Amino acid sequence: MTTPILEIKDVSKDFGGVQALQSVDLTGLAGEVHGLIGPNGAGKSTLIGCITGVNRIDRGEILFRGRRIDHMSVHKRARLGIARTFQKIRLAQQLTVFENVAAALASRWFRRPSGYLRVFTSLSSKLVTDPVYEALEAAGISSLAREQVTSLPYGKRHFVELARALVAQPDAILLDEPATGLTDAERENLMALVRRITANGSLVVLVEHDLELVGRLCDRVTVIEYGRKIFGGTPLDAQQDPHVVKAYLGSSKFAQKEASGVPAA
Amino acid sequence: MSSAGLWTLRLVCLALMAALPFVIGPFWLQMMTQALIYSLVVFSINVLTGFCGLLSFGQAGFVGAGAYTFGVLSIAGAPIFLCVLAGLALPTLLGLLLGLPAARLKGHYLAIGTLGFGVLGAQMLNNMVDVTRGPMGLLGIHSVDLGQNGWYYVLLVISFGAMTGLNAMERHSFLGVMLKSVKYDEISAESCGVATFGVKLLAFCGSAFLAGLCGVLLAAYMRFLTPDLFVPTESFRYLMIAVVGGAGSATGGFIASLFLTAMPELLRSLGETNFRLLVYGIMVLFVLWFVPGGIGGLVERVIGHRAGTAPARPQTDNAAHIAAPGVSR
Repeated sequence: MTTPILEIKDVSKDFGGVQALQSVDLTGLAGEVHGLIGPNGAGKSTLIGCITGVNRIDRGEILFRGRRIDHMSVHKRARLGIARTFQKIRLAQQLTVFENVAAALASRWFRRPSGYLRVFTSLSSKLVTDPVYEALEAAGISSLAREQVTSLPYGKRHFVELARALVAQPDAILLDEPATGLTDAERENLMALVRRITANGSLVVLVEHDLELVGRLCDRVTVIEYGRKIFGGTPLDAQQDPHVVKAYLGSSKFAQKEASGVPAA
Repeated sequence: MSSAGLWTLRLVCLALMAALPFVIGPFWLQMMTQALIYSLVVFSINVLTGFCGLLSFGQAGFVGAGAYTFGVLSIAGAPIFLCVLAGLALPTLLGLLLGLPAARLKGHYLAIGTLGFGVLGAQMLNNMVDVTRGPMGLLGIHSVDLGQNGWYYVLLVISFGAMTGLNAMERHSFLGVMLKSVKYDEISAESCGVATFGVKLLAFCGSAFLAGLCGVLLAAYMRFLTPDLFVPTESFRYLMIAVVGGAGSATGGFIASLFLTAMPELLRSLGETNFRLLVYGIMVLFVLWFVPGGIGGLVERVIGHRAGTAPARPQTDNAAHIAAPGVSR
């Protein structure tokens, strides 16, 4: 668990005079769950946007597996192996779960130009169904494959986004508040899923307000406030840090990190 | 409805259409033949607007480019296959050139941009008198002699084939999923590795190709062209047919082309005044009010497909084993 997958170095971003991020550093390692936490408006989602390419950075560097990506377009970064879910769910509502997940095969297929020949692949070909059902199985929603997204409860839609991120077989998955609106059972499923992803050597960056979830899942956390990184380390150390307590935690506490043995799925 | 049932339905419709020349007179056969030609430009709107979500007010420009390229070259004595090739290539190229700026536009800006293209096209056909003979019209286009019935059957096969192909592409291919993912949410499509700009360019080219094909066939069938046939009002008429048919449905576009082309003529029994156009307009409005999904949406409801839903689960042995319905592990 020592290979850096994602390196954010001295990144700054402003939106018309508002400094959303100021020299933020973050290193995500293979196989770790890295929490990104902080008060509302601290710049967490902006940072996710900078990593995925939705926001262009003003200063600094972002490296993915040692390669600079900060000049690349969103789809190029996705094809390199960065997948994400959205805080506010972004799925094609009128399409089926299957179609939504299948669309993300683009990031896997189009890594090489020869993959463009696959655009005419039939949706019922094994080239599509095998990876899509595998991802749906992993997210525990294969029985919903034929449902239209509009017919699903909110919590399930998070899992559709997760399946869509998984189908690309990414090296890094950025989860932007994935536990919002989930039932307790769904939260447990989410945690099991995140552990399985990291067990395969991928990096998970988790933006979350739920401290129990962060404490139980994350190996390390980065805390930001007003666009500045104020802490980087384990959740337990964060709890001892007076600055973090003052800025964000208050009297709340992280839950204890659980042994990261992979539960039988 | 099962896939076999759908194919039976399609073949029955095709057989009924094929029997038409034995039932209707030459005037109506000519009408239906033109409707089949125009169905292709309606398909071009299905591709661009219905599948990919890009609104175009300039399709007549592509049709005109295809028609006049075919016409001018054929009068100059070029062999017919060359006329056809050029008549398809030029609109496709124009689609690419229009797409380069237009694919970056959204909403009203895109609408105005494509409208500008349509106006420009009509003006050029009118004013490039040396090439197009302008308002005097292009006479004496050489073409193949198929006879009225022959043309009808050839166009029936082309139009029906294009409709079936587009349906399959939209519902059952990865390309269809990519186009639709761009329509519904560009940011999310980009994060899935879909190059939205590239997909839009492709949609522009494909759409222009179909519209160009419509133009080529129009020129070859009518053998006479005037710039009036390609003015912006024509673009609006095509768009109206596509919307009545249901923008995302090639089947609906096909049916709407036939009906909306025949309707103004059928209504002539109401007298030769503009009253019939008023009735026509009201009928179109009623369709839009009461069948918002268009004719295609209605057809899908009748045959049991939900709008926008692709039958996605294959029943191959392997998929059935990893994903039996109702079992999630």
